[in-house]
Amino acid sequence: MTAPRRRRLRPLTLMSHALLILFSFATLYPILQIVTVSLRPSDQLYSTSLALVPKGATLRAFYVILFERDFLVWMRNSLLVSFAVTVFGVALASTAGYAFSRYRFPGWTAGLYSFLLTQLFPATMLMLPLYVMMKAVGLLDTFTGLAIAYTATALPFSVWTMRGYYDTIPIELEQAALIDGCGPWSAFTRVTFPLAAPALAITALFSFMNAWSEFLVARVIVNRQALYTLPLGLESLAGQFQTEWANYAAGSLLVCVPVMILFVVLNRWLVSGLALGGVKG
Amino acid sequence: MLRSPRWFPYQLLLPAIVVMLAVVLFPLLYNFYLAFRNMSLYHFTDHRFVGFEQFRTLLTEPALYVLLGKSVAWTVVNVLFHVAVGLFLAVVLAGPVRGRAFYRTLLILPWAMPQYISALTWRGMFNYEYGAVNLILTRLLHLPAVPWLTDPFWAFVAPIIVNIWLGFPFMMVVALGALSAIPHELYEAADLDGANVWHKFRNITWPQILPVLTPAVLLGTIWTFNNMVVIWLVSRGGQPADQTHIMVTYIYKVAFTYYRYSYAAAFSVIVFLILLGFVLLVLRRAAPLEARS
Amino acid sequence: MRRTRRGWLAWGCVVAFLVPGCAPSKSTPKAIVIWEQMDPDERARFEQNLDVFRERHPGIEIRHLPYDTEQLRNQFQTAAAAGGGPQLVFGPSDQVGPLSLLRLIKPLDTTLPAGFFERFIPAALDTLDGHLWAAPDQVGNHLVLCFNKALVKKAPEGSNEFIALARKLTTPARGGQPSHYGFALNATEPYWLIPFFTGFGGWVMDGRREPTLDTPAMVQALSYLRDLNYKYAVMPRESDYQVAETLFKEGQAAMIVNGPWSWSGYRKAGIDLGIAPIFKMPNGQWARPMTASKGYSINTNVRKDELPLVIELVTFLTSPEAQLRSATELGILPSHRAAYRDSAILNDPFLRISQEAFEKGRRMPVVPEMRVLWDTMRPSLQNVMNGARAPEAAAEEMQRTSVQQLADMKK
Repeated sequence: MTAPRRRRLRPLTLMSHALLILFSFATLYPILQIVTVSLRPSDQLYSTSLALVPKGATLRAFYVILFERDFLVWMRNSLLVSFAVTVFGVALASTAGYAFSRYRFPGWTAGLYSFLLTQLFPATMLMLPLYVMMKAVGLLDTFTGLAIAYTATALPFSVWTMRGYYDTIPIELEQAALIDGCGPWSAFTRVTFPLAAPALAITALFSFMNAWSEFLVARVIVNRQALYTLPLGLESLAGQFQTEWANYAAGSLLVCVPVMILFVVLNRWLVSGLALGGVKG
Repeated sequence: MLRSPRWFPYQLLLPAIVVMLAVVLFPLLYNFYLAFRNMSLYHFTDHRFVGFEQFRTLLTEPALYVLLGKSVAWTVVNVLFHVAVGLFLAVVLAGPVRGRAFYRTLLILPWAMPQYISALTWRGMFNYEYGAVNLILTRLLHLPAVPWLTDPFWAFVAPIIVNIWLGFPFMMVVALGALSAIPHELYEAADLDGANVWHKFRNITWPQILPVLTPAVLLGTIWTFNNMVVIWLVSRGGQPADQTHIMVTYIYKVAFTYYRYSYAAAFSVIVFLILLGFVLLVLRRAAPLEARS
Repeated sequence: MRRTRRGWLAWGCVVAFLVPGCAPSKSTPKAIVIWEQMDPDERARFEQNLDVFRERHPGIEIRHLPYDTEQLRNQFQTAAAAGGGPQLVFGPSDQVGPLSLLRLIKPLDTTLPAGFFERFIPAALDTLDGHLWAAPDQVGNHLVLCFNKALVKKAPEGSNEFIALARKLTTPARGGQPSHYGFALNATEPYWLIPFFTGFGGWVMDGRREPTLDTPAMVQALSYLRDLNYKYAVMPRESDYQVAETLFKEGQAAMIVNGPWSWSGYRKAGIDLGIAPIFKMPNGQWARPMTASKGYSINTNVRKDELPLVIELVTFLTSPEAQLRSATELGILPSHRAAYRDSAILNDPFLRISQEAFEKGRRMPVVPEMRVLWDTMRPSLQNVMNGARAPEAAAEEMQRTSVQQLADMKK
């Protein structure tokens, strides 16, 4: 980020800004429509009016969803499950990915492939056997059941991403550590793990989102309103023809808040390239 | 490669493998079993082994190949845009742009928003007469209005647009993480050599982010191929006239509208095999596993 | 090697953390679970009824779980087939078609006490394969003509009258003013085609459950809707459920065809709502909507010792007391003979018209074949409304694909 370099990028920077604004508009416009729905007093998803602030706009839906529906319960449940999945997902993927990146062992190829293979089958058809299985082991209506299922669906991507990122970290660092008398476990935890912060941030965010927005599996495993996660709770606001659209929109907007907070927190690690540069220099 | 006790890598792997097997193995095997039987509404408890019967029916149906074509088109266009848009934004936002933290947070919104309401809101925006998209086209750009939801071609384009909107933030985040692994020294050296922006991207950025980007693109392709939610919601279950289907939405319909469970399972097995072929092709040819070792 | 052992230890802790959750959840006795598909207003009444029952039966836990129609059937199928699921499932009458065939619900004529079903009006009872599978809680689902009283003084009775009125009320977009339409209709769903089809003398299947869709009546009905869209242009070109409803709620469509579930929403949106039976077709016959009941079915997995309590709950939920609660506000027609003729219903002018429209209707078949017919009528109807098919070709297409799909399904 030296001054001369920035000057040379001038016209490009201008164009980047123009494109950024364009993309931001395209991103934001549908979201603003959802805001409009949440403010509309008459439970209408669509309108012939393009006004962003509807006639008779009211914040009532936010009050209703927060205090007259079980939204806070759903939020707590979702946070619980999602954090569990995040912790487990990161723990299991960072170790498994490390094994694939730093070692060659019998079953290496098969193992790496098999993570991918689980993603190839259309999910709708897996729900009936999943239910049968969860019922057999008594994990229906438990957060444990949900967390295990979500961790499993998040792992293939996480393992592969972790492995890919470890591959970009020079192996010499650990070799040096091993020569200095470090065990393989502490070579991993003390040297490589901290350097993989950006990949850990990706894995964490992905695992979290995987649990946060999932509906199909939750619908099968959870059959008690007290255990509803956010997607199930929101779904319960929708009838065949009548849907509480204002509440639904308000709830959807509130659902975004924790994700945004998490993202802002993870942002530091996601772009913490300096760590690596420092070590290498 | 590192040297260590022989058991160490297995120890690192075991928990992940156990969780995967516990959750995925039985449902997968069950579907393979089902594909060779005749379970349906009329044979729900008394189904029997029928061999390759379901596959034979399936492979002789012309509809299968149309659906495959649509699935491929859907996947290719989506993934192409996800990667292009996501990568572009990541490259820009990794650079010294004012307000980049703000942009980064804002651009992740489509990922954070529950898909159900986003998809239905977009459907509203595609309405011929009242939708925002046509109003922008006709009033601002003076273009003719597009029948987004009733013309078979545009009705297929509409969910693709929605899915691109939903999917680029994920690629952007992955690319941001991948970019941060590139040492600044490489760019500084290139600057000294007088390399331009494109050369730096082509010779430094791209090869450096490939190891992280490959799994995201590979899995992104698989997920997109198997993603039925968006197209189902935006086209209201295949409208107009059941023409807006890809393989997975059709499977859903066959299984839950017509109760042809075994047929749907056989169909899913075919999807599985197609994707397996794709994965093998990519990993053997385009991005071999051992590229960097 | 010591480090490696510590690694195993760490994973041991993770497993230990997970194990407590693995203990099988205890099944609590004396808990009844109901999975239901209700609109929000209807659900509020249902919850009031459950509160009354809970008060009378302290110590019994009753839970209900809301679903949408498709989800309800799919989830119930999954759960009941695996030997689980709720004791009761509440939904539209046609869900008993597949559920009874899959042997996932009990035949109620032999499960409930003898004579139980005599309390209901005949139009509420649907027999399938010689058995009754649901205890009805309401009848209706009948489409009527809804009109905005600020724009329409008196509902049209005949087709000519309707078209003249609708044309008068249709004004194209001008300046900043959006267009106004005389009429709006969910033209993407065949349920909205049926009244016109039956009005021209058609019906979906014959006595042997074979589809009868390629008939002059179907061609006439499709032509009629197409003409409303293209020839008379009294409805929006792209008109699905959400669009039609939005226009009516915003006062930009004067008339709409919709069912009882929609009425309270129109009033909430500030529309001065009037309803009437859908007008007569050009042949002088009333358009006849399909009617259906909604009711409770009992899961086949319900244990013998739970059954008496389950029966008691069903009996209560279908009693006049429960059915008449807020009947006039919700506009739901009761299925119980006494409630159907109750003065609260008869003295309510709005409900009287609803009853009149209901009695003009024809009962929807609950056989599983019906699902296939819905599914094969839908694309052809949409094709006609898009202008992609002529009505004759569409009728032929419906029949052909129905026969094909039914054969495939029965394979």
